[in-house]
Amino acid sequence: MSWRRFFRRSRKDAELQEEIRSYLEEEAAENMAGGMSADEARRQARIKLGNPQLVRETLWRQNTIGFVESAWRDVKHAGRTLLRTPGFTATVLVTLALGIGANLAVFQLLNSVILAKLPVVRPEELVVVDAAKTPFDQSWTVSYAAYERLRASIAKSVPLAARTGFEEAILQLSHGDPQKARYEFVSENYFGVLGVQPAAGRLFVQADAAENRSEWPAVVRYDFAQDHFSTVQQALGMHIHLNGVPVVIIGVTDRRFEDMLTGYAPDFWLPLEAETARLGMGFDSLGPGHGIDLDRSWLNQPGIFWLTLVARIPAGQRQSVAAWVNQAFRADRELMAEAIVDPAAKAAALRASVAMIPADRGLGGFRRQSSQPLFLLMALSASIFLVGCLNLANLQLARLSARAHELGIRMALGASRWRLIGQVLAEDAILMLLGGGAAFLVGRTASSVLVHWASSRGSLLNINLRPNLNIAALGVGLMVVAMLAFSVLPAMYFIRASLAGTAGSRAKVLGLSQIGLQRWRANTILAAQVSLSLVLTVMSACFAATLVHWEKVDVGMDREHILSVYVDMRRTGYITQHHDWTGLYRQIRQRVEAVPGVRAAAVEMCPMPNCGWNTALYVFGRGGLSNAQVHGEEDHVGPGFFTTMGIPLLQGRDFSETDTDTAKRVAIVSRSYARQLFGGESPIGRWVGYEPAPNDHQFLIVGEVADAQLDGPQRDAPPAVYMSINQHPFPIHTIEVRVTGDPAQIADRIRATIQQIDASLPITEIIPLTVELNDGLGPQKLLARLASVYAGLTLLLVGIGFYGVMSFRTSRRKSEFGIRLALGASRRQIRMLILKQTANILLTGIVPGLLLSVLAVHLARPMIVGSSSGHWAAVAGGTVVLTLAGLIATIIPSLRAALADPLEILRSE
Amino acid sequence: MLKGTLDMMILRTLVSGDAHGHTIAKIIERTSEDVLEVEQGSLYPALHRLEDRGWVSSYWGASENNRKAKFYRLTAAGRKQLVRETNRWRQMIRAIGLVMGEEAVADGGAQ
Repeated sequence: MSWRRFFRRSRKDAELQEEIRSYLEEEAAENMAGGMSADEARRQARIKLGNPQLVRETLWRQNTIGFVESAWRDVKHAGRTLLRTPGFTATVLVTLALGIGANLAVFQLLNSVILAKLPVVRPEELVVVDAAKTPFDQSWTVSYAAYERLRASIAKSVPLAARTGFEEAILQLSHGDPQKARYEFVSENYFGVLGVQPAAGRLFVQADAAENRSEWPAVVRYDFAQDHFSTVQQALGMHIHLNGVPVVIIGVTDRRFEDMLTGYAPDFWLPLEAETARLGMGFDSLGPGHGIDLDRSWLNQPGIFWLTLVARIPAGQRQSVAAWVNQAFRADRELMAEAIVDPAAKAAALRASVAMIPADRGLGGFRRQSSQPLFLLMALSASIFLVGCLNLANLQLARLSARAHELGIRMALGASRWRLIGQVLAEDAILMLLGGGAAFLVGRTASSVLVHWASSRGSLLNINLRPNLNIAALGVGLMVVAMLAFSVLPAMYFIRASLAGTAGSRAKVLGLSQIGLQRWRANTILAAQVSLSLVLTVMSACFAATLVHWEKVDVGMDREHILSVYVDMRRTGYITQHHDWTGLYRQIRQRVEAVPGVRAAAVEMCPMPNCGWNTALYVFGRGGLSNAQVHGEEDHVGPGFFTTMGIPLLQGRDFSETDTDTAKRVAIVSRSYARQLFGGESPIGRWVGYEPAPNDHQFLIVGEVADAQLDGPQRDAPPAVYMSINQHPFPIHTIEVRVTGDPAQIADRIRATIQQIDASLPITEIIPLTVELNDGLGPQKLLARLASVYAGLTLLLVGIGFYGVMSFRTSRRKSEFGIRLALGASRRQIRMLILKQTANILLTGIVPGLLLSVLAVHLARPMIVGSSSGHWAAVAGGTVVLTLAGLIATIIPSLRAALADPLEILRSE
Repeated sequence: MLKGTLDMMILRTLVSGDAHGHTIAKIIERTSEDVLEVEQGSLYPALHRLEDRGWVSSYWGASENNRKAKFYRLTAAGRKQLVRETNRWRQMIRAIGLVMGEEAVADGGAQ
């Protein structure tokens, strides 16, 4: 039996007909030669041949593969059946596409962020070597000198590289407008240690690390190169500027490599040696008094800590290498401990030992932060899939019952049981394939939408959204589950239970007990849907409330009315043109405050939130403060800052224009810092300094202000010390402006005013403070939005479920209703009969749903804020919404039943 | 006609040259002195089967009466198959002859 033959059947048949014709002619000719008349000759030839149709059929059968033939017929028939019921087909397709697609989308994120290993050689060998916590930021970074020394002395068998975090730069291509791009510094052996291959050009070599070059070599990320230079090959040799520093592109990394920090891939990698004042980086240092100069090269300043150590060490050797690094790092640890005064903390820092942190799945806070929300979303997605499957199972059962008559007749005519199941399965397989295909498309689109939701304003997270084997496996797995739930099980159940001798009238087909069983089954499925839907609705309400809470909660500042004007003096080179900072700041304040609608304006050195300027203060005449007491955050601000921000001055005075660099140095502390440093005593008039005695009386505290959540609504208000920027003239990052009314309206006027003062002052953007503060709410936004989409979907599904089941029932009970009406029942009674059923199902679903909701809210508590009364309101609200959805969906079928004409129905029976 | 012998006989007929369906049937009938009558209902399916297995090949040509006809030709594989089937046939004849007694042999092949 060959496939070739199977597909050539039609041609073979045509050939055979030709052959038969030729045979007949030959035979007739022979007969005529034997003396017959033409007619007789042809007649005899035909008789001799027999039935040509039979010959054709024999050959056709011979060329046919039985099961394929019947399957193909099933598929054709199924296609016709599905087109006949477009409503059902569409419902199934949409349910599958959304139910499976949602799971694929969330799993794509979960897989990329949490589960996937770095696409490098043997990722399980990679570790981050945490040598020592830095004195202020506790950030586990080391100096360039320490890295060089470790690398020089460490055994050759231990590949050791260094990397920094990432920073944003202004990128100027040879053509087009400047734009933002991320860069990161790495040691020249970094790619070698990770085992990353170039997609084009080359990666760094030792010669790239030579200091003081006029143009630095850079490696570009694959996707970035493709987006900006059309092909990776064309990126090579491009001359560009990063913050005005000339850079040439020498290579492009492997397509899959997005560096180690999950979610934030740099666009450019530069050698460590390219660090300059213009291309800065996050750092920690020994602090004031140790001769640190940030504008000088960091390479020969052992007091600046900015590098993370990355090594490739097999698990078995980690302990011995750690012990060895411990030894080698002793000098650096002692240096770091110099910045610690608290003897207990100092001793602990000296005693600390090296830790090897596995880095096989990437690094960073994003991964940690998003793991809980992502797993939760996965659970929510799984439940929406479940609701969808239940819905489809119910629809399918109803549909099969409606087709019982047809199927019964076909069975009576001799169709085998399996033939009928095959028929039903063929229909469902078509649906499943179409729905599955749509689900993959939905998943792809939805996952990029989710990334947008989770991302901060203006900088998209780098999450690998390429399809992979895990996603495909999940998709196919879900399709199989859906197929079982919605097709195989109902079909098997149906064929077994109700097809025995069913060619008669529908009423006689099912015994009472079977109808009861079927109804019970449908009710249970609906009730389960109601339960799950209630859980999703309640969760979504809680997440929405959480998001609103974080967006509106009092952060100790008038965030709704503050506009932040971000200026970029450093990267644009503005600092080299301008030096009278005090004069400039005074002018800015006066001119901006003169703009109508502006209540106050002030300059600020540290951009909010997450400025991350950790500092330490020591109190004159009060030694022995612990590490926890001396640490806080620092900011340098202009006069009027507290009025502008709406931070209340509790006692003392604000900075004034007379606090200049010639006057005595003053400081203002927040309430919690004052508590830390002075206990219950008033801080006013006390002296503090950056270092312990004898340098602990540099600043006089003149004021105390209330605490404010400078690092965003989710972080506690830090203990903060504010210095006057006029006493430490320095470039600023922000001009804060407090306005009356809507801040967005006034932005243009402020921009124009600042440009009148100095047209070259580079304003990067003007945005309301609240937007910036809420920018860190990505996971919350993701949860709230997706959960509400899910809640909406399940409500819709439950609505469809009720509508479908109730419509089916009322149509089947038509004659019963007709009799009831004829016997004197009112239409209202009929209506109530159906609504009562819905109410029963709702009740059966809501009770376990409530329990589940309470449990779910309890489990998700780390991600939900708000009072328990708020949660109860959400539960109550969800119940009401769900009840309404169920009842509304039942109204149409119930009206249809009640409007039935008893005469017509009874006659038709 | 004995089951399975038609294929063998068709192959045998084609040894002496290419032929179309009508000729093949005629040759078999005449050679068997009209004892064997080839049913068209099995001739054509058999020819197609043989072609499908690669034992004969076919082409369209003109018959001796100048009519369009499908000719069949024995392939190398078909020749080998013919040898195999002939051997099997001889063994069978002999075996049946042994069972039936020597004198029945002459009738055995022609049933």
